[in-house]
Amino acid sequence: MGMDLAQFHEAFFEESFEAIESMEAALLKLDVGAPDPEVINTVFRVAHSIKGGAGMFNFSDIASFTHTLETLLDGVRAGRTRLSTPIMDLLLKSVDVMREMLRATQRKESFDPQRVADLQFDLEVAVAKTSAEPPAVAAPAPAPAPASPAPPAAAPPAAAATPGAAAAAAGASEWRIGVKPLENMLSRGNEPLALFAALAEHGELSVEASVEEIPPLASLDPHRCYVHWQLGLKSTVSKEQIAEAFEWVEGDCDYTITPAGTAAPAAPSAPAATPAVAPADTPRVAPPPAAAASAAAPAPAPEAPAAAKAAPKAEASGGGDASSIRVATQKLDELINTVGEVVITQSMLAQLGALAEGPSAERLRSGLAQLERNVRELHESVMRVRMLPIGSAFSRFPRLVRDVAQRLGKQIDLKLTGEQTELDKTVLERIGDPLVHLVRNSIDHGIEMPDERVAAGKSAAGTVHLEAFHRGSAIIIEVSDDGKGLDCERILAKARSRGLVGASETPSEEAIFELIFLPGFSTAEQTTDLSGRGVGMDVVRRNIKALGGKIDIRSTRGKGSRFTISLPLTLAIVDGQSVCVGEETYIVPLVSIVESLQIKASGVNRLSNAGEVISFRGDYLPLLRLHDLFGVEPRSRAVQEGLVVVAEGDGQRVGLFVDDLRGQQQVVIKSLERNYGQVPGVSGATILGDGSVALILDVAGLIRSASRRAAA
Amino acid sequence: MSTASDRSSAATIGPTAAIKPDGVLRLPAQCTIRDAAQLLAQLLVHIERSAPVYIDASQVERVDTAALQLLVAFLRDRKAEQRAVVWLDCSDAMVRAARTLGLAGALSLSAALG
Repeated sequence: MGMDLAQFHEAFFEESFEAIESMEAALLKLDVGAPDPEVINTVFRVAHSIKGGAGMFNFSDIASFTHTLETLLDGVRAGRTRLSTPIMDLLLKSVDVMREMLRATQRKESFDPQRVADLQFDLEVAVAKTSAEPPAVAAPAPAPAPASPAPPAAAPPAAAATPGAAAAAAGASEWRIGVKPLENMLSRGNEPLALFAALAEHGELSVEASVEEIPPLASLDPHRCYVHWQLGLKSTVSKEQIAEAFEWVEGDCDYTITPAGTAAPAAPSAPAATPAVAPADTPRVAPPPAAAASAAAPAPAPEAPAAAKAAPKAEASGGGDASSIRVATQKLDELINTVGEVVITQSMLAQLGALAEGPSAERLRSGLAQLERNVRELHESVMRVRMLPIGSAFSRFPRLVRDVAQRLGKQIDLKLTGEQTELDKTVLERIGDPLVHLVRNSIDHGIEMPDERVAAGKSAAGTVHLEAFHRGSAIIIEVSDDGKGLDCERILAKARSRGLVGASETPSEEAIFELIFLPGFSTAEQTTDLSGRGVGMDVVRRNIKALGGKIDIRSTRGKGSRFTISLPLTLAIVDGQSVCVGEETYIVPLVSIVESLQIKASGVNRLSNAGEVISFRGDYLPLLRLHDLFGVEPRSRAVQEGLVVVAEGDGQRVGLFVDDLRGQQQVVIKSLERNYGQVPGVSGATILGDGSVALILDVAGLIRSASRRAAA
Repeated sequence: MSTASDRSSAATIGPTAAIKPDGVLRLPAQCTIRDAAQLLAQLLVHIERSAPVYIDASQVERVDTAALQLLVAFLRDRKAEQRAVVWLDCSDAMVRAARTLGLAGALSLSAALG
């Protein structure tokens, strides 16, 4: 059985998406007037590594497109192409197209070849145009050409070395290069053949292989590289230029570069002391190794996705990422599940321990107490593993805001704070779309046109602020703007015209804001292609609710609006109130509980069409008897002998009649659907300390099923 | 590949005559990391063979470090047990890759590289 490259596809896609994101972020950071060479380098590296990976996996469309993009970027990097706004737009469009191509390829769908071809053509035109112009040094000065010390000779693109740089930095005419591949170099598609071919471009290369470390055939891992090399390179290029060839294998290979005169170390052992330095103003000497891959195995650009992994990721997250590994979410979930089981077993043992008697009972109990502490720590650490900084969800906004603002002719400053705030991966994945909607709304409906703003005494540029922080056991994400605020009168007028609010009713401001969460509610005078596409605030709220969170609005006319999303830290654990009905225990999530109270028998009224209702603070709430709903024999059917838990779900309140309240505790949610099937009114189950199973109530679901019953 | 027959004579171990069909290891056109596990399995089948093993690399179009490293180990392990390996034929691609990686010597292909 040969090695199936398909197993690496997912990793390639994942890494490429990440890389594209960092490329986009880097592009947005670029100042067109004075581009930072390091940032351009980052962008270039991303394109290069995606091209390499795509080539290796035979995604020829992607490889071809990224090749053109790379050529343009190479020009920018080498100072042949001056970065301009049209070029920036081309680059950003390329980001979109690459992302789409990757996504389509990943899903094995087709993408619009015309769009790709058009953009590729534009890129080629840009490349051709700039190589015809006299080379300009990438410098902040607008017209640096005459002052530039670099001879503006008709340098052929890509292959020319800067004579100045080489001579200055050289000092050596022969280099000793030690190459020691790390374990994964080959399986990542980084082929030494290609590396050596690239090095051979600089001059005469001699290769000496050490094969002593190859283990006996029977115990050899065929995907690992055991050979290391000592190379001799007769060339006057600088150390940095040699190091450039290693840029693409960074992280997969240790290497040393020393002038031949000095004592060369036998083989590099520690991680390379010389990081690959690639000053952006030095034109690349080696053309993409694709050209040089003579006998090399995967011919097109075999330098593979390693660079995608190493370089861009490190730069994207900007420090703080010491070393990390990729783990499938499923493995994490299994781990969390197992730890959940351990928690349950531990609390079972604790109950047994409390009952233990005899000489060693005390020791048993202290051991159990220790176990409890350890388990709690373990549990917390495991939960933290699933937590990711929200920055990755925020990262798409600079681009989005730029595009939307440009299209609407508005000026927007986007402020992001709290990107390091961590939240559960699942929550993070699902919060993106609601946030996009809110931010678009802020720009589209909130922020005024520049002249309007100036007339209102504000700065021409509006501010949209995305902020995340922890509050108690919740994550708060706020989207605020300094725009015109919600227009209560218009909202009310619209609600009246739709019959949502009676003509005589005058709801409070808070209640008016709530109206915009109703399905199909939009006050935009004309629906633009940005908002008003049928996906309204109702969907936003529904998505947030599905995550166990809520959304509130505060808004001041003329000053701006603030949408506050509050989300639970994790979906795997819920703070619950245990209630008992007969012999059964149920868990009511604390977030849904409004109040618990005892009522008199006279407090219950029976309505002909809605069953029983109770009076609660001037409102009538339906009373749901849990024993009826779940077919359990209660301790008592008389309301005054039990308790009513007033709970809220989907904006509706309901009284749940139970026998008694027990303690409050955090419970680990076990999916009923996965283990049994969906039960209306129940969101999951948990296992209690005594080993018994308790159902976790879904208040919104209970209300729905109760109203269906009432209607039936 | 026109000079392939010259190269085969440069193999250092054993004569080229008396080829036993079951002792011939024919390397496929693709000898890369994708095929490395398969190649390893094939080599392991031949490693214990007391009679010479003949390697026919004439069809090899692509070969990379992973595959060459396996062959190096195979030759070395066989040699250590005093068992012969004979190169029957070798494609240009194979020779070029071995030379680029500095493994021609370890593969007993050096004489062919003149």
